[in-house]
Amino acid sequence: MLIEIEKKSKTYRFEANAGEKILHAGLRAGVPLPFECATGTCGSCKARVNQGDIDEGWPEAPGKENFKAAKREMLMCQCVAQTDCNLTVPSKIKAFREDDINPDHHQGKITDYEMLTSDVLRFEVKVPIEGAFHAGQFFVLQAPELEGYRAYSMVNYSQSTDTLEFIIKKFPGGELSNWAFESNRLNETLDVFGPLGRATFHPDEGHDLFMIAGGSGVAGLMSILEHANQVNYFQDHKVELYFGVRTPNDLFFAERFRAIKTQHPDNVSINIVFSNEPPTSEQLSGNDGLNYLTGFVHERALPAVLEGGGNTMHYLAGPAPMVDALIRPLILDSKIPADRIRYDKFN
Amino acid sequence: MSWKAACPTGDVKQDKIKECTIDGVEIILVNVGDGFRAYPPVCPHMEQYLEGSGICANNVMTCDRHLWQWDMKTGEPLGPAEKPLLIYDTKEEDGQVMVFIDEELEYDFDDDDDD
Repeated sequence: MLIEIEKKSKTYRFEANAGEKILHAGLRAGVPLPFECATGTCGSCKARVNQGDIDEGWPEAPGKENFKAAKREMLMCQCVAQTDCNLTVPSKIKAFREDDINPDHHQGKITDYEMLTSDVLRFEVKVPIEGAFHAGQFFVLQAPELEGYRAYSMVNYSQSTDTLEFIIKKFPGGELSNWAFESNRLNETLDVFGPLGRATFHPDEGHDLFMIAGGSGVAGLMSILEHANQVNYFQDHKVELYFGVRTPNDLFFAERFRAIKTQHPDNVSINIVFSNEPPTSEQLSGNDGLNYLTGFVHERALPAVLEGGGNTMHYLAGPAPMVDALIRPLILDSKIPADRIRYDKFN
Repeated sequence: MSWKAACPTGDVKQDKIKECTIDGVEIILVNVGDGFRAYPPVCPHMEQYLEGSGICANNVMTCDRHLWQWDMKTGEPLGPAEKPLLIYDTKEEDGQVMVFIDEELEYDFDDDDDD
């Protein structure tokens, strides 16, 4: 199917395969279509169908909140072309960074699978090409026989790797989550598309880092910490991480945090915030270099934000209500410029 | 159409967004310190109602949905925003904020200008 998008300055044309989401087809062809979540919730990839037939995919997608059916408005991340189509895309079509990697479809094989806590598991997916990505990016994954993609940020980072490391939280009603937890999925295959996302880290930007993560949202921030550590970034830049989980039993990645903290103790601050139980006496002894706190992660993190932000880039990652609850006080009370906030909301 | 009274000036506080309907036309009002500004009620990006999603600080408005921002005095886009806020003329008279409504200002959500 030929997809045509007319802009005043240029007409974009690309081919979409049968059954392929229009957003994926365009990005794969190097057309930097607008998008944010790529999973139907944010509405950023809005387009209008001028000509042609589409299957709109997920009719109740939350991202379609203000869309007008009469104008044939739809989400490119959800819909599939059934004929050649002519579309209008109201948002700008613009490249983000020169070193962005064109996303593509891959068949991935699960090569490692382990439980990290009672409801968080970690798995690795091997993809058949050298899959470079920016730290902080995500892939969308689709399990066999399941409808629809779900977005997961990579945990690992390497300039050249064929392995994507993910964590996934048990989430009742989440189809991919149910599939992943149902049985050991080692050696099974998944459809993956990526890399995607702009909540990324680039050493050449030279920012100090302030990070707030809830639960499995810490994945992309772990990737950023690993990339930064690999290039010795914390030699002369600071990072402050606030990571919220419910109880000491729900904590994971403590070893990985410690490994980075140990190398640059003065510039790395890792704060673990438990919402439902106090830290253990061993954690409170302070021997492992991490700080342990009690409360809600946003309440603990916000007072530590530097007013005006200075040279700091702020990264927010976690459930959508947590991220929404952080954006307003960051802008209003801490006076952080919007371009110093990068976020991933997980729904 | 003509100048219409929107509300008492004291009802429009700094860093807050006040929604009003004048002869069936919905607007939002803000106080920029040395005067007032009136805009259509929705974000020019995804039509989110700015009374709920707008954050005002230091004469910059931010929509919390995708962080589009504007200079509240001029309506000009800042940062990632791609479109300006449309502005109705305003003035103060007898303690009221007056808004000049010739016709309802609406964003063109089909505009595909990518310059």
